[in-house]
Amino acid sequence: MSRLIGSVLSTQHSVLLARLGRHWPAVVLFGGAALAPTFVRDSYLLDVLVLILLWGALAGAWNVAGGYAGQVSLGHSAFFGLGAYAAAVTAIHWEWSAWLAMPIGAALATLVGLLIGYLSNRLRGPYFALATIALAEVLLIVASRWRELTRGGEGIPIPFRPGFENLAFATKQPWVYLAVLLAVLVYGVAVYLESSRFGYQLAGVREDENAAEALGIDSRRLKVIAIAVSAFLTSILGTVWAQYVGFVDPNYVFSFDLSIKFALMTIIGGIATGIGPFLGALLITLLEFYLRATFSGGPAGQSGIYLVIYGVLLMVVVRFVPRGLAVELAQRFRGRRARPAATPEGEQVAARAD
Amino acid sequence: MLLELTSVTKRFGGLTALRDVDLQVGENELVGIIGPNGAGKTTLFNVIAGFYRPDGGAIRFDGREIAGQPAHAIARLGLCRTFQLVKPFGSLSVLQNVMIGALNRERSVERARPVAEEIIERCRLAPFRDAPGQSLPIGLRKRLEVARALATQPRLLLLDEVMSGLNPTELREMLDLIRQLHADGLALLVIEHIMAVIMPLSQRVIVLHHGEKLAEGPPAAVARDRRVIDAYLGEEFAVAEA
Repeated sequence: MSRLIGSVLSTQHSVLLARLGRHWPAVVLFGGAALAPTFVRDSYLLDVLVLILLWGALAGAWNVAGGYAGQVSLGHSAFFGLGAYAAAVTAIHWEWSAWLAMPIGAALATLVGLLIGYLSNRLRGPYFALATIALAEVLLIVASRWRELTRGGEGIPIPFRPGFENLAFATKQPWVYLAVLLAVLVYGVAVYLESSRFGYQLAGVREDENAAEALGIDSRRLKVIAIAVSAFLTSILGTVWAQYVGFVDPNYVFSFDLSIKFALMTIIGGIATGIGPFLGALLITLLEFYLRATFSGGPAGQSGIYLVIYGVLLMVVVRFVPRGLAVELAQRFRGRRARPAATPEGEQVAARAD
Repeated sequence: MLLELTSVTKRFGGLTALRDVDLQVGENELVGIIGPNGAGKTTLFNVIAGFYRPDGGAIRFDGREIAGQPAHAIARLGLCRTFQLVKPFGSLSVLQNVMIGALNRERSVERARPVAEEIIERCRLAPFRDAPGQSLPIGLRKRLEVARALATQPRLLLLDEVMSGLNPTELREMLDLIRQLHADGLALLVIEHIMAVIMPLSQRVIVLHHGEKLAEGPPAAVARDRRVIDAYLGEEFAVAEA
């Protein structure tokens, strides 16, 4: 069909169409989500949808550093928590709107991201991951101990003041639209990273820093920028998440579990792909809702069952679809007649399918 | 002079890898560097291209002091090197590999693509355009290494043993390519282990031994140099026949 239309239109138009065509899974996913509130009234289902989109966007934000730049962070909850606490702290102390808190949190997270990116520039592989774990742990301790500001370990319930001006909504519908918007934003960043000069050069840095340097690429600068952008996006999503859930608990928002979750969703869905983090989020979030429904109210010993299932899932993915669902599915769809697409990821996939 | 090294020294702890090395490469000159293993050839490249900071001496490229500048800044000035142990971007296609090189000069992916395509054609990599870097055998990897460096559109190209490990056909093609690049006006500094290859190729040859410049001159004269023959432990050969 698209080929037919393409042949009718001018060459330039068909190129445009081909480009859009590559993004059809995103169009389906985000378009479907945006239309959902029109047909679905069930707030439980809409809640699932909002969380899938938010987690997907968070995984996508992690992917900027962990996937595209190859800087695998296991402490991204640090940036998430900064965004969440920015909203909570300013709301209870000064009754700020979350719209005001959002840039504060994002600026803080970006600064911290620049700092850890700069400091750990000489660290490679596991050492960078260790540094990020330490960062999240430090912030967890600060948030738990600085009681005057954060109320410590008991957490902060965010005062519910519905209204657009406070970034708080009484119904699920606006949350769905906001989540779709954020998901599209994060997906757009991924598309940029797959098709721009910056993105190509970053791919070079990820593959081999010395080779990249020899080709005129300032590898350290690119890595730091990627980490900072990732931190910025993660913080913004942290603020939105806090407003959505309405409660900020240091042991959750700065947790190692959460950092693992961002990474896990991305790896399962497809690292360094645009749609992968959203596929991973879809799978993991549905799984979580299912497990919660199945095991809640059971004996306390069962509450950790999700960890077992995560572990098994990760093993299955690493064994059978090491490059993630997105890449696997793309190969299935393209079959053997793979034609190179216009982006690093696309061409990479095509090359492997040959 | 396009490139001018003045008594460049590089030490690693107690080991002096390069001692007071002077070297010049003129515009559109093709200079060969030879020397036994461990003579400091690759160290010299690392120092020139900004991967090592020299402990002494000056390096001027196109009239500008570049000693101590980061590698990427030197590459942007138009001095590009290849690696003896080739470093393809393994999971990226040949085209993407070369495009990333082309982005050194080109400001957009759209403009880098045709530049890369042309260089791929020129380096006879077109049949492997979409293959991932890691899938190529060593001969093609060496060619990709050269293609990627060429794509940066350098004024001086530093080739580090790009002809070792090639079969006779590949070797001939690589020699043709290097000659063609030279004919097109590029300046080249070429490290090569195989004397029979480098001697007829170079306008001038520099012999490194234990980190010092042992001899320098036209290939034929260098090959007759007693010290050079001794350094190669009697590995005597006549250039004229090569």
